[in-house]
Amino acid sequence: MPETPHMLDARALTVDRRVDAGLIRVLDGVDLALEAGTLTDIVGPSGSGKSTLLLALARLLPGVEGTLALEGTAAETIEPRLWRMRVAYLPQRNALQPGTVASNLTLPWRLKIRAGLQAPDEATLREALDRVRLADVALDRDVARLSEGQAARITFVRTLLTRPRVLLLDEPDAALDAESSAEVGRATREFADAGGAVVRVRHHVADGLADRRLRLEHGHLTEVAS
Amino acid sequence: MTTQLAGGVVLIGWPQLLLASGFVFVTGALALWMQLGVTKDLAIGAVRTYVQLLLLGLVLGWAFSVNQWWVVVGILALMTVAAARIILKRAPDAPSGLFWAAVTSMAVTGITVTFAVTGLVIGADPWYSPRYVIPIAGMVLGNSMTGIALSLERVFSDLDARADELLAMSALGATPWEAAHPSIRTALRAGLIPAINSMAAAGIVFIPGMMTGQILAGADPLEATKYQIVVMLMVAAAEVIGAVIAVLMSYKRRFTADGVFLEKGLRD
Repeated sequence: MPETPHMLDARALTVDRRVDAGLIRVLDGVDLALEAGTLTDIVGPSGSGKSTLLLALARLLPGVEGTLALEGTAAETIEPRLWRMRVAYLPQRNALQPGTVASNLTLPWRLKIRAGLQAPDEATLREALDRVRLADVALDRDVARLSEGQAARITFVRTLLTRPRVLLLDEPDAALDAESSAEVGRATREFADAGGAVVRVRHHVADGLADRRLRLEHGHLTEVAS
Repeated sequence: MTTQLAGGVVLIGWPQLLLASGFVFVTGALALWMQLGVTKDLAIGAVRTYVQLLLLGLVLGWAFSVNQWWVVVGILALMTVAAARIILKRAPDAPSGLFWAAVTSMAVTGITVTFAVTGLVIGADPWYSPRYVIPIAGMVLGNSMTGIALSLERVFSDLDARADELLAMSALGATPWEAAHPSIRTALRAGLIPAINSMAAAGIVFIPGMMTGQILAGADPLEATKYQIVVMLMVAAAEVIGAVIAVLMSYKRRFTADGVFLEKGLRD
């Protein structure tokens, strides 16, 4: 029987970065295979390359060596923007566009890549917000009036609404209080349980949601004993 | 001190020119006394004004007497390249390799607008008539240079300021155009401000240079006004055309071939 391909398969990812002291190797031949239905946490000291790894997996970084495949299909055969539709990266820093909550949530459907796809209706947007404790945030509220934690949850919801196959979250709960963090964690777990694959970069203590924890240090990934 | 008249124009002699320079000496002395630290720049600026404009007078005199198309085209080419170099100096945030974008935008703007004015509005004969083409090209290139430089500087500084937003847009699958569009809009607006301000203030706050020159040269004020209106409208058009070409030719340099915005740390 043929082996089922991994949801996302990264082999020998290598990234060099030029810094003041010269050229440093941030990722040194990193292998990472993600199965459908799993949630993986990546930990490690600041500056160890955790965000770089997520950017490389999302094909948002130039100059990456190694190979990537999505459900058995090599990255070279998938147009980068289509890849990013399926392998969604959520940056650490919130970056909402000037406008309302609704206009930010439906932004992905105003892009050429999703031309012809139906944007979620108001009821769907409302329901998605309610799930991450944003029931009190009106869809027509100006995003300039949101707190940092609210903005973080809105970008998280927006990414979920695009229905990717793989979710790459860069410190998704860094700006959240304990209760909001728990809601975002629960929604992330549900995404994985529905057949997606998730990688989270986290600094906080383990929240018990991840199926495995990996440590990135000196350019290498190692399993963290549970 | 005697003044001479030539064709209704009061001719300025060397003594009068030196007298005018006296005002710069007074300003320089004032700057020195107040320790403004600009005396040297003022002196250099004054000397450059003498040298550059006297040279221009000689070159224009030569071009008018030769009256050949290749001389006019050669002078326009030199002016275009010089303007492109100044644009790149004024936009320090712009990536390298934008020389041809600057030259193309200046050349297209200069050729289109200058010859539209001299050919269609003034009806210069021959088409390359240096007396009309060179001064009008100077005004068109000078003003569109300001618009292009402002737009280029603004588009790259605005893109850098939106780096986080651009990364999020790229992650959502946006094309460089979709991601950069707000910055392009901001940049083109910025580039248009001088032209709009100048049109709004013309005739109320200041008398435009070309009109002043024609009136001093003895032209009928109403005729000078007509010329000035043509030039101001054409200059505004030149600023828009030049800024649009320059920005559209250059903004993608901040993106990778895969359409991802290049943050500061990732640039060569």
